[in-house]
Amino acid sequence: MADRETTLLAAGDNSFRLDAYLRRGGYEAARKTLLSLKPREVMDEVKKANLRGRGGAGFPAGSKWAFVPQTDDRPKYLCVNADEGEPGTFKDRAVMTRDPHLLIEGIILTCYAVGIHTAFIYIRGEYEAIARRLEEALGEAGAKGFIGPDVFGSGFGLEVLVHRGAGAYICGEETALLESLEGKRGLPRLKPPFPASVGLFVGPTVINNVETIANIPLIFRHGADWFTGRGLPRDGGTRLFGVSGAVRKPGLYELPVGTPLRKIIFEHAGGPAGGQAIKAVIPGGLSAPFLTANEIDVPMDYESLAHIHSMLGSAGIIVIGERTPMADILRITARFYAHESCGQCTPCRIGTTWISKIADRLASGGGAEGDLETIRDLAEGMKGRTLCPMGDAAAMPILSIVEKFGSELAAAIARKKDTETE
Amino acid sequence: MKFSLSAESVKRIDELIGRYPKKEAALLPVLHIVQREKGFISREAEEWVAGTLGVPPLRVSEVLSFYSLLRRGPAGKHVIQICHNISCFLAGAEEIVGYLESRLGIKAGETTADGRFTLVAVECLGNCDHAPCLMVDDDDYGPVSREAIDGILKRLA
Amino acid sequence: MNMVTIEIDGRSLQVEPGTTVLKAAEAIGIVIPRFCFHPAFEPEGSCRMCLVEIEGLPKLDLACATVVREGMKVRTATPRVVEARKDVLEFLLADHPLDCPICDKAGECFLQDYYDKHGRYASRFFESKEKKKKKIAIGKGLLLDRERCVLCTRCVRFLRRVTGTGELGVFERGVKAEIGIDEGRDIRNNYSGNLVDICPVGAITDRDFRFKTRVWFLEKGRTVCPRCGRGCSIVVQSVRGYPLVGNERRIYRIVAAENPAVNGHWICDFGRCGQHDIEDDRLTAIAVNDGGRSAGLQEGRPADWNAVLKALAGEIRTLGEAGRGTRLAVILNSFLTDEELGMCRKLFVDILGVKDIFLVDPKPGEADGLLLTADRAPNVRGAAVLGLGPKPPDAARLGESADMLLIFGSHLLDHLSPEQAAAALGGVRRKWLFTAHRSALDRLVDVVLPTAVPAEKKGSFTNVDGITQSFACAVRPRKGCLPEAEILARLAAELGVKLE
Repeated sequence: MADRETTLLAAGDNSFRLDAYLRRGGYEAARKTLLSLKPREVMDEVKKANLRGRGGAGFPAGSKWAFVPQTDDRPKYLCVNADEGEPGTFKDRAVMTRDPHLLIEGIILTCYAVGIHTAFIYIRGEYEAIARRLEEALGEAGAKGFIGPDVFGSGFGLEVLVHRGAGAYICGEETALLESLEGKRGLPRLKPPFPASVGLFVGPTVINNVETIANIPLIFRHGADWFTGRGLPRDGGTRLFGVSGAVRKPGLYELPVGTPLRKIIFEHAGGPAGGQAIKAVIPGGLSAPFLTANEIDVPMDYESLAHIHSMLGSAGIIVIGERTPMADILRITARFYAHESCGQCTPCRIGTTWISKIADRLASGGGAEGDLETIRDLAEGMKGRTLCPMGDAAAMPILSIVEKFGSELAAAIARKKDTETE
Repeated sequence: MKFSLSAESVKRIDELIGRYPKKEAALLPVLHIVQREKGFISREAEEWVAGTLGVPPLRVSEVLSFYSLLRRGPAGKHVIQICHNISCFLAGAEEIVGYLESRLGIKAGETTADGRFTLVAVECLGNCDHAPCLMVDDDDYGPVSREAIDGILKRLA
Repeated sequence: MNMVTIEIDGRSLQVEPGTTVLKAAEAIGIVIPRFCFHPAFEPEGSCRMCLVEIEGLPKLDLACATVVREGMKVRTATPRVVEARKDVLEFLLADHPLDCPICDKAGECFLQDYYDKHGRYASRFFESKEKKKKKIAIGKGLLLDRERCVLCTRCVRFLRRVTGTGELGVFERGVKAEIGIDEGRDIRNNYSGNLVDICPVGAITDRDFRFKTRVWFLEKGRTVCPRCGRGCSIVVQSVRGYPLVGNERRIYRIVAAENPAVNGHWICDFGRCGQHDIEDDRLTAIAVNDGGRSAGLQEGRPADWNAVLKALAGEIRTLGEAGRGTRLAVILNSFLTDEELGMCRKLFVDILGVKDIFLVDPKPGEADGLLLTADRAPNVRGAAVLGLGPKPPDAARLGESADMLLIFGSHLLDHLSPEQAAAALGGVRRKWLFTAHRSALDRLVDVVLPTAVPAEKKGSFTNVDGITQSFACAVRPRKGCLPEAEILARLAAELGVKLE
């Protein structure tokens, strides 16, 4: 067992090839599982492992699978969410580039557990080179009978298609992903109904993030208990923490769930770069409320971050140094959501651009009294009011910037006012 | 002039459509194939795609306008997408954008007069640990310095 | 069926399972504000205006999309809810143009109405508004103003779900999102007028109505559309007294009225154009031609109804006395109400013994599979019930069989050219025409009596499905006209008979 891969980040130049994957113990777990366990048992083991979704929402994977009704005969689908658009996030790219077969093996296990025979990998359009790598890997797997009409000779049939997106962050939201996959504009759907009951082409559908699925073979290679042991009891496994921004060693760090943020930044990513102190840290991709330098002792797990009113999200850690004006960060953050808003619902469609216009003005020295309060009110008008979670994704970080760095922003406004009156 | 694609593209499209439960789901992948060959999606291409997939031309038009990577008009021979989101900004992306603009003689969002390069400032490309990063067509580059930019442009000359 | 008991604003009520909060609230008179929701479609959930508080749930929820559950407690007017409505309005008005002074929708605009009730705040939008195209011809005289549009997508959904024609779509994304047509494929269907009705703001307007009047000057009269056999409920909107500069225009538009049994929420454009039937080419005075003089009436002199009907009664009596009771022929039409047709039958068939009762309507057209029927008259069924089916006269032999002809309506000209009509009528000695509109028949008869159009009458029509619908007078009759019912009653009185 020792030589069987335990990591999500395969090493070596040819790690992505099938022969290299097989040497690491690849596909054995899937073969054994399909030939000896019932789908229900597979699902239970994943539940036991307490694998929570790695895309951002953190919903327990096993429970999500269990929502799919097993009693009707509509075709079911798996959509692997490889849209990876959350700023600060670059982990799925690494898994797919370095270990596409790990993902494929995870897809096999997932589909077997839920009774799915067609899986789509929805990959963002910019990842064209990675899409080709996935297709090559699928070709290799298909040639060996690891996917196809009779997987491992088990009688279970599975087809996997790579489906390219075309440049829209919103398609990372699960129902927008479905709309896009059906050949339409990526507009999120009203929930209920939930994808597990009415999803792709109205069939029951599971949508899971790449990293989530990549963990499944590890669970079956080494067991659910091993998995929870690697993380926390209620939140098992490791996370691929992506660290970027003002740090000496930006990169991906595979560490146990619950590792303190400070440790990740200082011990793994080399601490802040450029000899400056940390001003702010985004812990879980841009949609997560910002943390101040005083808050980085937080353990990186869902509960702990929720407790301090932030979120683990996609575990994309961005470190912002003291020399960076928060007005610029606010401007860029607001611009991002304004650009990516699908435009369907009133608060997000108007609110994101309105805030972006104020933030632009503020960052270029045109801020006025009342601007921060307006931004706060507009963000509050979006929070909890929108058709999909992107409203919160936009509102929460912006609110955190205004709340926690409000005095810096206000000082900048006042400075402009002072220079005007001189 | 009637719209037509290369035999290879048509073959790929036919094969692709056959793998989806519904033809119309293949819209984005088909548009990618068309754009790869023709450089953009023309009005005639829209009609052809609509007919091939059995969807109203309006749908193709709507979809085309929604997604950032799809183009209605020709771009330069090479498309440079440079990220200006948070991590890249922190790594100096704005200076790099400025440098590219001055080297190419255009502003972000424009195409050089000789049709060689289109420069677009984009949101996060998912390559944040190599900030500041950019893409030239399908290739990732990062971290890019002025020297690196010089090298890229020289190689594509 | 087990009803569901819920509470809305402290009031308990029982509703059928599957009812939405919005619909349940309406049942007790609480109208929750909305832009994108329309009762004809599934909930869309995008405007976010209908958010309400539901006890036990952390966020506000959509009234349009939330289905009631046993014991649910809803509050539609808490400070949180009111704040949410104010926020939606503030968002919508941020980019909304200051068009109210020139916008036709003023006075019936959701934005205005809701702002009045739920808005009322000082604007703090100091940025530049998004500039968009303001006058895009999208087909059939409709104009789209993208700056006014609130992207409720009712128009898009109407064209996809009701007409199935899908001419409109939503392009771009974010704040740049806009409604548009496919180049060269504008709206051509027979239901385009409904888009103006359902647009909650002034984003879709009609050239026909644009800049003509203000809605608060309009008097509204509900009636039944007379242009085909469907009998859609319509509202005729007319103006009296404004504008004050002697402009005679009265009828400004016809809109749909809701009628679940007949037309649902819609009417067709063909019916909508009926405003011109009420307004244009109307006869306003009794016309006496050459032959009228022999009845004792003087050509050219304005005659009054009493004198004319007295003369008519006299002529009819003379005809009868000479033993030629069967020499009176009558041409009816299916625009007459059930009551009027009943009176005709009683007077002409039962009392006067007329054998040659004809009925001529406009030529049938093509049914459009939705509302428009092949019949292009409103009371074909009603006439049939009274044994008065479509029956054209034998034009060549009209003169042989009739000495006197009473013609109701000018629909003969839908089947005969003016020359053929002249030939047919030439052989008939005495001809009286009862019609609302000017036509080539006017010079071919002896006397022309101006009648009211259906919108100016009360009565009932029986539609293509056998549904009898009563209607009241929707607009005052033009001066000088009389409804046929009135004419027949007075004629009967002159003849000394009762039509009860």
